[in-house]
Amino acid sequence: MEPQQQAGSGDAPPKQVAQAMDRLGRAARLIAEIRLGADRILEALLVSNENPRLSEKAAELTLGEEDAMRRHFLDLRTVGKQLEDSGVLSGALRSRGNSWGLHMPLVCPDGAVVAYAWKRQLAGQAGASAVDRARLALKAFSDQKRRFFPQLEDDQLNRSNNDTIKFPPTKRPRLLHRPTQSPNIDSTEQKPMLADILKSIQTEAPGVTISTYQRLEWSKRAESLASTMNDSSLDQPKEQILSNLSGSFNEVAVIELVASGVFRVLVSLHPAGSTDPDAVAFFSPNEGGSYLHSRGMSVHHVFKHVTEYADKALQYFQSSDPNKALSHLLSWICSHQSLFTKNCSKCSKLLAMDKSLALLLPPVHRPYLLNSKDHDQDFATAYHIGCSSYDV
Amino acid sequence: MPVKWLMHFQPNQGTTLTSQVMAEACAVAESFPGVSRDGRWRSSMTFYRAVPRDQSLPAPSDLPRDLIGISLHDLPNEYLFVMRSQRLILRAHSSVQTVMDKLQSYKGRFFINFEGLQYKWGDFKLRIGKCLYNPNEALRGIVMEVEYLPLSSIDKSQRVMEEFYEIWREAVASKLLAGQFINTEVNFVEYGLGDSYTPQHTAVLYGMCVVQVIASSNKNQ
Repeated sequence: MEPQQQAGSGDAPPKQVAQAMDRLGRAARLIAEIRLGADRILEALLVSNENPRLSEKAAELTLGEEDAMRRHFLDLRTVGKQLEDSGVLSGALRSRGNSWGLHMPLVCPDGAVVAYAWKRQLAGQAGASAVDRARLALKAFSDQKRRFFPQLEDDQLNRSNNDTIKFPPTKRPRLLHRPTQSPNIDSTEQKPMLADILKSIQTEAPGVTISTYQRLEWSKRAESLASTMNDSSLDQPKEQILSNLSGSFNEVAVIELVASGVFRVLVSLHPAGSTDPDAVAFFSPNEGGSYLHSRGMSVHHVFKHVTEYADKALQYFQSSDPNKALSHLLSWICSHQSLFTKNCSKCSKLLAMDKSLALLLPPVHRPYLLNSKDHDQDFATAYHIGCSSYDV
Repeated sequence: MPVKWLMHFQPNQGTTLTSQVMAEACAVAESFPGVSRDGRWRSSMTFYRAVPRDQSLPAPSDLPRDLIGISLHDLPNEYLFVMRSQRLILRAHSSVQTVMDKLQSYKGRFFINFEGLQYKWGDFKLRIGKCLYNPNEALRGIVMEVEYLPLSSIDKSQRVMEEFYEIWREAVASKLLAGQFINTEVNFVEYGLGDSYTPQHTAVLYGMCVVQVIASSNKNQ
C-alpha cells in the first residue's frame, strides 16, 4: 500500500478523498497568488520605467513580492509532493480500488480533475440516505394527519368492506424505489392505462374538454392564456379542442379539464406518464398566467374553496382506492360542471352567505365518499360550506 | 371580462328621487358582512344628434339620427358608440371624441354622468352611483352595477346573478327604501353579441338603462 503522508492507510477512503480535494484547492490558490505576484512585479517595473521618481519605491515593492513569491513556490512544492504521494497526480491508485470501491480524484495532464467514480459512489450513498429521510418524513406527516384530520382517519376505519386499507404515505416509498423504471411497466399491478381512463371520462362527461401536456408544454400554455385574456379586443376564443398533444402518453405530466364558462382544472401526475395524481387545482376559465398550475391558487374565492376541498378529495381517493384514484378524481371534478347552477342539497339555495368567511358563495363542497359499488358513482350532491356536516 | 348586471332605482309611486336614496342604498351595501369600500367610479354618456350638412336636403335615411357615446370607468382608453335603431355598437380609442368634435357631423345634445361609490364583496363588485344630468347636475336616477368576477359566460352566470339580485332586493326592502331596484333586461342577441361578456354588452346595458331612468324620472315629475 502506498504510504500516505497525513491520511494513514488506516483512514477511510472518504477522508483521503477529502484531503486530496483540499490539497488541490490549496494548490490552486497558491498558483493564483503566484500569478498575482508576477503581475505586481511587472507593474512595478512599468511604473519605474515611466516615472523615474518612483523607481525606489518600485524596487522596494519588487523585493517584497520576490519574498512572497518564493514562499508561495515552496508551499506549492510541498503540496505537490503530498498530492503526488497520495496518487492523485500519477493515477497510481486508479485501477487499484480500495475496499470501498472508491477511487482518488485523478488530475489529468491537461489539468482536468476526473472525480466521476467516487462522486457517483457518494451520490449513491446520499440517495440511500435520502430514501431513509423521506421515509421518516412521511411517517411524521402521517402522524400529523392522524392528529389534525381525524375525520379522514374515521373514513378509512368505516370502510370495513375494503380489506386493504392503504394510507397515502405508503404510496410514496413505492414511487421512490423505482426511480429509473419506465412508468409504463405496471403490468404486474394491473392498473388501467392513462389513455383508457381519459377516454372513459370523456364519454362520461362530454361537456368537459380534456387535454394532456408535458410539464414544459403546460407552462407555455399557461403563459399564452394570460396574454389571450389581456387582449380584450379579441372576443373570447373558443376553447381549442386539443387532442393529446404529446405524441405518446409516456411523458404526460399535466391534465387540463375545461368546462366552457365554468372552470379550468389542472391535475398533475407524478411520475410523468403514470396514472397517479399528485395535485389538483381549480381556476376560472378567464384566468391565465404562470400561477396556473396544479399547486397554484385561483384569485377567486369560489375556486380557492373548491381547490381546498379538492385536496381532501384527492387524499381520500389515494388512500381508499389508489389504483383508481385518478378515475375517481376526474369523475368528481367533472361533477363540478354544475358548480354555478346546482342548489345546495341541504338549504336548496344557490348562493349563501358564509358568516365566518363573510363571503357569498355557491355550494363548493361536493361529497367525495365512495360507496361499495363504484359504478354509478355520480357525486350528485353539493353543499355550502356551512351546510356540509363535518364528516361529509 | 366578468359578467355584469345593471339596475336602476324605481321610486315608489308618488315619491320623488332624492340624494338621500343614494346614501341609503350605500348603507344597505355596507350592511353586508365582508363588504369593503373600494374607491369611487365615474362613467359618462353623450347623446349625439346628426348635424345635416345641407339644411335644405332631407337627411339620408340610412344614417342614424341619434348616437350614444359612452366612456366607461373600467376602460379609460376606449370610447363606445351605440346606435340603438340599427342595433350597432362600435368600440374606438378614446381620442375619437376629438375627431367627433372636429368633424361636427354629430353634435352632443345632452350629457349624463354616472358617479358614485364602489364596493368589493368576495367575488362580487358593486357600484352604486347617481345618474346626473349635465350641466345642471340634476339627479335623474340611481344605478347599481353588479359584477361577478369569476365568470364571463352570461348563460352560466345567470342563476348566480338572479340569486344575488333577490338577496339585494330583500335587503333593500327590509331597510324600507322608498322604491326598488329594477334590473335592465336586454336581448343581447339582437345586438349581435354572444354569450361571452364584453364592454359592448356594458354599453348596451347602459344605453337601455338610461332610457328607462329618463322615462321613469319624467313620469315622476
